[in-house]
Amino acid sequence: MSQRYVEISNLVKAYPNPFGDDFRVVEGLNLNMFQGEFVSLIGHSGCGKSTVLTMLAGLNEISEGGIIVDNKEIDGPGPDRAVVFQAPCLMPWMNAFDNVMLGVKNVYPHATPEERKQIVEYSLARVGLKDSMKKFPRELSGGMQQRVGIARAIALKPKVLLLDEPFGRLDSLTRMELQDVILDIVAQEKLTSMIVTHDVDEAVFMSDRVIMMTNGPLARIGEVMNIHWERPRDREEIFADPKFFEYREHLLSFLEQRAHLKSDFHDFEDNRQHGKDNLLSFVKNPMELYGAENSHKA
Amino acid sequence: MADSKVDKIKYGILKVIDVSGFKVFDPPVRLLFGEEPQKQIKDIGRYMVLPILFVVGCIFLWTVIAPTHKTKSGEVPTPTKVWTAGQDSLRFHEKEDEKEKAFFLSGEDRLAEIKEVEALQAELQAEFEKLEAISKETSANAEAETAKKLAPLQKEYDELKAQYKEAQTARKAALTALSDKVAAKQAKSADLVAAIIDNDTKTDAEKGKLKDIKTAMDDIRSNPPKEVKEAQLAANKVADEIQHGKKRLSYLTTGNLSEKKASFVAKAEDAETALAASTTGKDALKQAKYVVSNTEKADKADEQKYPRAASIVWQTHRSLLTVIVGFIIGALIAIPLGIMCGLNKIVMACLTPLISIFRPVSPVVWLLIFQIVVGAFFPDPEKHPLFVFLNSSINPLSYFQTNPAMIFSACTVAMCALWPALVNTALGVSSIDPDHLNVAKVLRLGFWSRLFKIIIPSSLPLVFAGLRISLGVGWMVLIAAEALSSSDGLGKFVWDEYQNGSSQSFANIILACFVVGIIGFFLDRLMIILQRFVSFDESATL
Ligand SMILES: Nc1ncnc2c1ncn2[C@@H]1O[C@H](COP(=O)(O)OP(=O)(O)OP(=O)(O)O)[C@@H](O)[C@H]1O
Ligand SMILES: [Mg+2]
Repeated sequence: MSQRYVEISNLVKAYPNPFGDDFRVVEGLNLNMFQGEFVSLIGHSGCGKSTVLTMLAGLNEISEGGIIVDNKEIDGPGPDRAVVFQAPCLMPWMNAFDNVMLGVKNVYPHATPEERKQIVEYSLARVGLKDSMKKFPRELSGGMQQRVGIARAIALKPKVLLLDEPFGRLDSLTRMELQDVILDIVAQEKLTSMIVTHDVDEAVFMSDRVIMMTNGPLARIGEVMNIHWERPRDREEIFADPKFFEYREHLLSFLEQRAHLKSDFHDFEDNRQHGKDNLLSFVKNPMELYGAENSHKA
Repeated sequence: MADSKVDKIKYGILKVIDVSGFKVFDPPVRLLFGEEPQKQIKDIGRYMVLPILFVVGCIFLWTVIAPTHKTKSGEVPTPTKVWTAGQDSLRFHEKEDEKEKAFFLSGEDRLAEIKEVEALQAELQAEFEKLEAISKETSANAEAETAKKLAPLQKEYDELKAQYKEAQTARKAALTALSDKVAAKQAKSADLVAAIIDNDTKTDAEKGKLKDIKTAMDDIRSNPPKEVKEAQLAANKVADEIQHGKKRLSYLTTGNLSEKKASFVAKAEDAETALAASTTGKDALKQAKYVVSNTEKADKADEQKYPRAASIVWQTHRSLLTVIVGFIIGALIAIPLGIMCGLNKIVMACLTPLISIFRPVSPVVWLLIFQIVVGAFFPDPEKHPLFVFLNSSINPLSYFQTNPAMIFSACTVAMCALWPALVNTALGVSSIDPDHLNVAKVLRLGFWSRLFKIIIPSSLPLVFAGLRISLGVGWMVLIAAEALSSSDGLGKFVWDEYQNGSSQSFANIILACFVVGIIGFFLDRLMIILQRFVSFDESATL
C-alpha cells in the first residue's frame, strides 16, 4: 500500500504572456501520492488547483518538471487517469447509457458488445442509476448528471481518479450522498484520488492528506495536513470528533491568512532580501504594501 | 384512467403542432379538450380570427382596387380570376394525364376507354348544344336590347348630321359671298378672317358633338351585358372539353402507341408478302427495304414518349426536383467543407478569401457561368448517355424530362445555397463546448469517433439552421434562374406567361406567385421540423 504511485516533481506551469515574460502560475510543486491515497487540494480561487489537476490528467501541457504515474512519465491523457469535471459535461444528444459507453469502446477494444454493455450497466448501477440508464441528460437532475459523470469515469477502470470540484454545483444533501458514493468506489477499487475542493469539511472528511496551496502566481504547496482516521469513515462519528474541528480550524486559518494576499511569493522576508535593488526599493517599509493583515506573519 | 388517456391524445396532438411550428392551432385543440375555455377563446380571437379577418380584408381590398388599374395586358386580375386560373391550370394538367394514359393504353383497356370517351363526348355534345342555344338566345336578346338602346341615339345622330350639313353649306355660301365682297373692296378683310375663324370653331363643335354620340353608341355595342359573356364562356368551356375528347380519341386510335406499332408490323408483313411475290429485281429490292424500315420503326415504337405539354403542376414538380437536387449538391459540398473549416484554422484561413469573394456574387452570374460550363459537357444532349438513361420511357424520372438546363439551374442553386450552410457549419463546429472536447481527450476518443460522436452531433442544430437558410435562398434563386434561362420550371412558366400576354396571362403569373410562395413556406417548415428533430432537446421524445 505504502508505495509511491504518483510522483509530481518540480512541476511548473507557465502560460505564455504576449508581452514577453511568461506568466508562471505554478512554480516548483512537489507531491508524492501513495497507492490508494486520497488527497485533497485546497487553496484560493485562481491559485492553480485546476491547473495542477489537469496537468496530472494530461489535458494541460507541463511546462517544466514531470509527473510519474505507476513508474511511467505521463504524456497526455490516458485511460489510467479518469477525470470528473465540475460540470457533468455529458453529451446532451446521448442518453446516460451511451454517455458512459462513449469511452468504454476505446478502453476495451477487444471486449464483446455484451461485455461492454455489462461494464456500462455495472458502472451506472454503482452510482445508483440502475433505473435511469435510458434517460437523457436534460431528464436528469444535476446530481444525477454528476453521477453519470462519475460512472463514465469509473467505467474506464482507472487507477487514478481526479475530481475537480465535482460537487461544486450541488446542494449539500446531494453532495453528501455523492461523497459517500465516491469514497465507496475509491475504497473498493483502491483508486489513488485527488480532489480539488473549496469545501473545508469535504476535504477533511474525505481525504488522508490535505494539500494547501499558496496563492498564485508562482503557487506552491504551503502546508500539508495529515488526517488520521480509519476507513471506512462514518460521517456522524467524524463530525462529532473534536479533532474534526481542529483540522477544520487549521485549514480555515490557513485560507484566511491568504485571503487578502495577491501572491505568497512576495513574502516579507523575500522582499527584505531583494529590497535594495528591486523595484520596491523606494518603499521604506515593505510591510506597508500588504497592510495590517500581513503584520502578524512578520 | 380514461382521463389520462384523453390527456395523452391531447398532449400528443399538441406536441405535433408544436414541432411542426403551427402554434396557432394550439388554442383550438386545447378548447376541444375543454382546457380553460375562456383563455382559449380569447387566444383564438387574437391569434386566429383577427389574422383571418385581416387577410380577408386584404383580399377584399385587392378585389376592389385591381380592376381600377388598366395595364397593357388587361386589367389587374381579381382574386376570383386568379382562382379560376388555378382551376383551369389543374384541369389542363388533368387533360395531359388523360391524353398520356390514352397514348399508352392497349388491348381491351383501350377499347373500353374508347367507349367511355365516346359516351362522354355524346353527353358533352348535347350539353354544348344546349349551352350554345342559350348563348345564342341571350345574345339575340342582348342584341335586341342593344338595338333598342341604339335606335334613339342613331336617330339623334342622323338628325344632327343632316342639320349640321345644312348649316355648314349655308356658312360656306356666306363665306363665298363675303370673300367676293372683300375682293370688290366692299367689306373689310378683317371681317373675312373673323368669319373664317368663327366657321372653323362651329364646324369643330359640331364634329365633336357627333363624335360623342358615336362613342356612346360604340360603348353600348362593345359592352354586351354580362350574361352574354357568361353564356358564351360556358359554351366555350364545353367546346374545349369536346375538343379535348377528340384529341383523346385520336390518341386512343390512330395516335395510340400500340396501334402505331401494330400498323408498322402490318406494313412490314405486307411488304414481306409483296417481296415473296415480286417478279423483278427492282421491285424485290424496294419491298425488302420496306420490310427493313417498317420493322425498325415497329421496334423503335416502344421508346416513344407522349409529348407532354407543360402545365403549371408539371413545372412545379420540376422546380421542386431541381431545387432539391441543387440543395443536396450544395449541402454535400458545404457541410464537409464547413466541418473542415471549423476543425482546422489553416483550412479556414485558406477558404476565407474564396468565401468572401464568391459569396456576394449574383446568382445571375453563376447561372451564365454554369450554362456555359455545363453546356460544354453535353455537346449533344439528346444523345448523351446520361439523358438517354434518365429520359428513357422505362425510367420513372423521365417524367421530369431532365436536360442540361436542369443541371445548370441545379448547379446555380447549389452555388448560391452553399454559403449559409458552409458558414453555419463552420461556426457550429468551431463553437463546440471545449468541455466536451476535454471529455473526448480524457476518454481518448480517436479522430473519427470524436468527429461523429461529439463534434457533428453538437454542431447539428447550427448546421440545420444554415441548411434552412440555404434552402430558402436556393428556392428564390431557382425561380429567377429558370425565368432567365428558360429552364423548365415555375420561373419559366412565369416568363412564358409574361411573353405570350393572353387574357389569362396576368392571372397565371399571380397564380404562380402564390404557388412559389406557398411551396417556399412549406419547404421552410420542413426544415424547421428537421432542425427540431436534431436539436438535443427534442431528440428523445420524437
Ligand atoms: N489558458 C490560460 N492562459 C493564461 N492564464 C491562464 C490560463 N488558464 C488559467 N490561467 C491562469 O492560471 C491561474 C490558475 O487557474 P486555475 O484554473 O488553475 O485556478 P483554480 O485554482 O482552479 O481556481 P478556481 O478555484 O477558481 O477553480 C489563474 O490565475 C488563471 O488566470
Ligand atoms: Mg478550478
